[in-house]
Amino acid sequence: MTDDEALMQAIVAGDSRAYEAAIRQHLKSISHFAFRMLGNSKDTEDIAQETFLRLWTHASTWQREKASVSTWLHRIAHNLCIDYLRKDKSSLSNEYEDEHEGSDRPADAPEKSQQLAALQQALDALPERQRSAIVLSHYHGFSNKEIASIMDISVDALESILARARRSLKAQLKQ
Amino acid sequence: MSMNMTPERFAQLVDIHGSQPARWPAQERQAAEAWQRDNPAAAALCREYAQLEALLDALPVPPLPGLEQRVLQRAASLATDSLLDQAMDWLLPRGDRLLAWIWRPALVACLPLICGIYMANFFSFGISGPEVAWEEELALLALNDYAEITE
Repeated sequence: MTDDEALMQAIVAGDSRAYEAAIRQHLKSISHFAFRMLGNSKDTEDIAQETFLRLWTHASTWQREKASVSTWLHRIAHNLCIDYLRKDKSSLSNEYEDEHEGSDRPADAPEKSQQLAALQQALDALPERQRSAIVLSHYHGFSNKEIASIMDISVDALESILARARRSLKAQLKQ
Repeated sequence: MSMNMTPERFAQLVDIHGSQPARWPAQERQAAEAWQRDNPAAAALCREYAQLEALLDALPVPPLPGLEQRVLQRAASLATDSLLDQAMDWLLPRGDRLLAWIWRPALVACLPLICGIYMANFFSFGISGPEVAWEEELALLALNDYAEITE
């Protein structure tokens, strides 16, 4: 039996310590993913809470042969973020931008600061699925097969999305 | 190996997988690395993507203070919730799920009505149906007529 299986069996059986262990193991990755998708800590917390609530209530639906627990949780978080962005896009606020404006960066790095702000804007401007694909690929190191599973699309479709996202970010930075 | 690679395929590989050869598909990696070494344009494309990746790495997620504690607190309350608490959580969900706030209480409010209709269909509660009453009425009228005739 794999670690994932043992963990999920314990959660299904109502073992609260196993549930807490799963939260400690996956919270950082899930919250970072949500923050990079939504750009603010309040919505990030809502997504993290809801993702781990579903881990508790829907653990019995996890299927070992389909995905690892990490992939499964990121799939839940991805769907929640996409739903959130589609429903409530107008209320998006970006703490990255606040952070860039308020940071005490050394005076000799204004160019890099500008580049980072431009990159953040370019990321925000990406369609949700392109942003999700880039975040999962670059920051989380998932394979293309895993990302395709998280986003519920074919690997070919994912590669097309990734290529468009990278080209778009590169073009924005060149401007 | 380099012969199998084309400028278009190399650009496509880097667009999809980025500038790090370790992320390129194993079966094409050798040919792509040779192509990159032999072609200045390919090397320049990789440098552009490497710059982009370095900038992406420089965009950290700020600290999210207290998040782990709050998620664990919620987890602890979930794991120890009684059935009544769970029912109340379902009835009045936390957060801003407006639709769930409306339809769930409405459904619960309708339950007694639905139960009442269902039970009334099955039980008469001692009240006889109108067809029985009419039969009795007709029998009494017939008896009355008979009594008048015989007088």
